[in-house]
Formats: sequence, structure tokens, C-alpha cells
Amino acid sequence: MAAHIMAETACRARPKRRGLSYLFDLLVVLVDRDMKLLYKRSALGVLWTLINPLFQLLVFLFIFRVVVRVDIAHYPSYVFTALLVWQWFQGSLVQAAGAIINSRPLIRQPGFPVSILPQVVVTTGWVHLMLALPILFGFLIFDGVTIGLNALWIPVIQLIQFLLQVSLAYVVAGLNVSFRDTGHLLKVLLQLMFYLTPVFYDAARVPAEYQSLYRLNPMVHIVNAYRSLLIQGEPPDWHALAIVAACALVLLPIGYRLFVRQSHRFVEEL
Amino acid sequence: MSVAIRVNGLGKRFRRYHADRPPTLKEAILRGLRKTVAVESFWALRDVSFEVAYGEMLGIIGHNGAGKSTLLQLIGGVGQPDSGRVDVDGRIGALLDLGAGFSPDLTGRENVFVMAVAAGLTRREAQRRFDRIVAFAELEDSIDNAVRTYSSGMQMRLAFAVAIHTDPEILLVDEFLAVGDLAFQTKCLRRIAELKANGCAIVLISHSPAQINELCDRAIWLRHGEVVMDGPPDVVTGQYAVEMRAESQRRTPNEAPEWISAEASPTSNLNRFGSREAELTRVRLLPGNRIASGDPLEIEIEYRAARPLASPIFSVSITRSEDGQACLDLNTQAMGLSLPTLDGSGTLRLSLGRVDLVGGDYWVNVGVFESAWAYAYDFHWELYALVIEGPAPQGLLLPPCRWWLETADTKQASGEPPVPFDRPMAQLQQREVA
Repeated sequence: MAAHIMAETACRARPKRRGLSYLFDLLVVLVDRDMKLLYKRSALGVLWTLINPLFQLLVFLFIFRVVVRVDIAHYPSYVFTALLVWQWFQGSLVQAAGAIINSRPLIRQPGFPVSILPQVVVTTGWVHLMLALPILFGFLIFDGVTIGLNALWIPVIQLIQFLLQVSLAYVVAGLNVSFRDTGHLLKVLLQLMFYLTPVFYDAARVPAEYQSLYRLNPMVHIVNAYRSLLIQGEPPDWHALAIVAACALVLLPIGYRLFVRQSHRFVEEL
Repeated sequence: MSVAIRVNGLGKRFRRYHADRPPTLKEAILRGLRKTVAVESFWALRDVSFEVAYGEMLGIIGHNGAGKSTLLQLIGGVGQPDSGRVDVDGRIGALLDLGAGFSPDLTGRENVFVMAVAAGLTRREAQRRFDRIVAFAELEDSIDNAVRTYSSGMQMRLAFAVAIHTDPEILLVDEFLAVGDLAFQTKCLRRIAELKANGCAIVLISHSPAQINELCDRAIWLRHGEVVMDGPPDVVTGQYAVEMRAESQRRTPNEAPEWISAEASPTSNLNRFGSREAELTRVRLLPGNRIASGDPLEIEIEYRAARPLASPIFSVSITRSEDGQACLDLNTQAMGLSLPTLDGSGTLRLSLGRVDLVGGDYWVNVGVFESAWAYAYDFHWELYALVIEGPAPQGLLLPPCRWWLETADTKQASGEPPVPFDRPMAQLQQREVA
């Protein structure tokens, strides 16, 4: 057994690791740090994360309620839900781009599980979403939406979205080490994707010949799922969500490997 | 002692890419995602092997770019080796770029939690140790201020305090330690000594031979990523100092030295060090390199000085080849002998009346040094093997010996005085068997 282990080469040092409870503690501490930093750097603190979608909401309301008439029931709730969900997605990926590059001291810490960094980014975004959720619910009630029992499925949708975002975050963070313009390119892609996600319009309005292509965007299904649970009070398209989850699970180990390899490379290049 | 760190044939290659790195994704896509080709590569570490036991402190010395930091990183599991392997058994603590991980906008208290958990403690453990960490850093009054208001000394103290309170079983220290004032440095050293006494394996990188001599049990000298020497700190750092000097003065000769001893082949910087202003041209062990325990030994050193050298020091030491343990360390200066100026060639003999060492394999190390030990003229290390034949019990010494039992009865029965202990080993044993 020992001889067998000695035979393999180029194996990295594996210091004794703590279990899951340690990783959870680490996640909590690092998310807590990010939240505190946000509080301390601006007087408005966490409110900032709400201001952005609220302004966007006003713009969309003006355009699609006043200028161009769109006929969707509970349109403000409809857009606001999607904006918060999209904000989590976009924020996670933009932040993830710098996950390796901005954390050199942590990565250089022996035994530090580098793979936790994208999870920290995505979890921080999730905390922001959770903080905004009561406001969203108030908004929905004010808008005359009755929130049904189906809303209890929300955590499942969040879990799928979390998985998807962590998988993508690994890839983005890893790429950004080799190609430092990943962040710029990402912003362009995200903007494109924003319009290809049904944030301020109804996905059903996309012409049938484009639907199969359009539905390749996983965020289409995620956003639709939140809406059907919260606004329509109906179960989501579980079939499509299962495919999104499966794709995320396939991407996860690939992104993970890329991330770990790139983080090693990054600290070596001094 | 069991092994905490085992480094085996470790190699790390760095690649240099084109000057216009880091490349952009745009270019890569335009190029068709072909792999960026490394222009050249070099080995930052090559075939490095050593072990560090629990409770042992290993010093690593070498010039900038010798691969010291790379080695420390690989031991810490940061980065991947290109060959060989590192096995580490235990929780690693590190004193590397102290304070780099702080968030300036957070308070000292908040930073301590982040750093302690990042270093491997759970939140509960960090909570329990918090007061001790702050007390050690002497920052009770300012722990709730933002770290950006701290002086660099305060930051270092806090970072050190955190690192040292994470119960490391293996501690990696880089270029230690300009932490705070002298009193605090002393405290840090004491704490490190405490950890070591509790069985922590420590690897220390330093430029300073003095620091390594003072703190370490063993030292490794790295040059261009390769181990030049692995041995007692004073020997290794001494030779390192020699090279520092030799390099700056470009005195190390390139031509083959005059060498007439047939038994051993010296290789520069492997087992032979020095500026060669004086050369040891021949070293002989008389009557031979295989003697019985308790026999006399004479070491005959022939030298040749290229130019007059005032009051040089000759040194002879015997080390056990198994573990490098020094059994004998003599030099002309310590014995109050002042040699005349060396010029031309000559022979120096050291006669040992008897060598009462246990049986086994030893090395005889011979050197001639500058008058103030500043550097070696020529030093032959682990070059001359000495085999001592005889029983090999525990320990180092084997003087003629005999057990002697005295009771009231025997005292009355025989008025004989005790047998004097001046017989050779073999005879004594025979007599006792008979």
C-alpha cells in the first residue's frame, strides 16, 4: 500500500484537512467579512444592493408601461423578481472573475481550501438576495399578488441556481488567471445574456423558430421558475430545471479542476 | 523521532512565456486557442530530498532566487511539483508574508477571526483563543479599531500572534523576523522554541547564517534549486559564507586542482569548499582508514599555499556518517596553537592517542581556514571515511570499561584494589568471559 503511494509522482502535499464543519465555518467567516466590508465602505451599506434593481425597475416601468405598452399582469412584480434573480447571477460571475487574483494571501496560506472562494462569492450574493426577499414579498403583496404555498419551492430553485453559478464561477475565475481580459469580455456577454433572459418581457413571446436556441440559456428557466412560483403560484417547469441542474453538475468538476490548477499557477508566478 | 515532512526528489519547473504576457482572451480566440508556447523553462527546484522530524528545526539558506520560497510553498501544498513528491503529516502553520491577508477596513477583532479560521481553526476554537492572541500581540487597547489605523509593527504582531496560536504541527517561516521591537522578537523566539519543544517541526528560510546557526538543528544550502549541502548548521552556513565571499571575489579556481590522494575524489561544492588560496593536497589516515576502537590514529595533512597566508587555522573533525553527529571537533586555534604564515607546501600531523568511539562508520573532515574563520581556504567534508571496528552499543564513546561490584562481603573477603581500567577493549572482554 505504502509502496504504491510512493510510486506515484507529482502529487501535491496533502496536509490534514478539517471536515465539513470546518469548511462551513470558513465559508461563514469569509462571507461575513465580505458583508462587513460592504457595510463599512458605504453609508448605505447593504441598501446599495437594492438601489440598483430599484432604479432599473423604474426605467423598465417607464419604457414598458408608459412608452411601449406591454400587457403582462403584475408587471412591476414580474420585472422586480427577475431583476433580483438576475442580480445574483450577474454579481456572482463578475465577482468570481477576481476570486483568485484578489485572494493571493489566502491562497498562499498552506492548507487553505482554495476551492471555497467561488462559493464565498456566490453565497455572499445569496445573502443579499435573502435580505431583499422580504422587500420583494412586500412589493408583491402591495402589487396585489397572492403568494401561494408553491413559494415554498423557492429554496430548491435557489439551490439549482447556486449550483449553476458556482460551476460557472469556477470557470470564470480560472480563465481570468490566464486571460486578464476575461472580466471585460464577461461584462459584454452578461449584457447580451441579460437581453436574452426574460427579465422585462415574456419568454413565450419569443418566436417558435428561435425557441429551441433561446431555451439554451439556463437563466430563462431559472427566471421563469421564480415567476411561476411567486406570481402565477404554479409549479415550475421541473423538466427544464432538471436539465439545468444536470448541466451544472457536469460543469462543476470541470470548472473545479480548472480553478484549482489555475490557482496553483497563479501563486507560483511571482 | 517520526518524520513530519518528507521531500523526495522534488522538482519544480518554471516557464517563461513571451514578453507580452499576460495574454488576453481576445488574442487567444483570434489565434484559435492554440496553447501559449513557453519560450524557455528552468528548474526552480531540482531533485531536492530531505526529511524533517517532529521537534526538529531545519534552516534553509541560499541566495535570492535559489528556490527557497518555492520550496516552502510546495511544502505548504501551494503549487504543484513537476517531479517528485512532498508528504506532510500534520497541521501546517505559516509565517509567510505576515499581515498580507488583513482587510484594512475591518477591525483587529474581525481580522483575527478571519485569519484564524483561514489558518485552520474552527470558529469556536478561534473564539476560545481570541483573548490569548490579543494578549500575545499586546493590542488589547486597539483591537476594536480598524486595522488600517495600525502601524506596520502592530499588524505584524497581530499576524504573528494569530499564526502562532493555531497549534501548528509543522511551521513554515519565511525570512523571520522583523516583528516589532526587540522585546517582542524575543517573545516570538521563545514561543517558537516552545512549539519546537512540544514537537512542532519547523522549516526556517533565512539569508542570515547567524540566525540559522543560532536557531536550527540542521541546515540545507540551496543553490539554483539544488541542495548543495545538508548538515550541521555551522558547517553549512560556514561554507555558504565561503561561497558568498568566493563568488564576490571570483577566487574559486576553474582549473583542476593538484590532487594526489587516490582513495577519495573531491568535487567542488559537493564535498570540497573554499577559496583554494591554500589547498589540502593530500590527507591520509594512519595507520589506515580502518582501525579498532581504542587504537591511535594519526591524520596527516599535506598542504600547498599559493601565496603567503598569515596564521591560518586547521581543523579536524570526526562525524558519525549515520546522522552527522559530531564526535570530535578540534582546531589549531581552540588548542591555543598559533601557526606561522603558510607559504609553499608542507605537512601537518594531528595525532590522536586513542580513538574511543563505538564501532561504526565515520567521516574525518579536514579543513584549513582563514585566520578569523571568515571563510575556508579549503575544506574537505565527508570525504575521508573512517571505519572503527568493535562492538557498537548505544551512544558514542567506548572507553575501556568494566563493571565492578562492591558489597560488604567482597570487601571483607579480598583486600585487592580495583583493577585499573587501562587495558584495551578486547583483552578486557576476554578476561571477563573467562
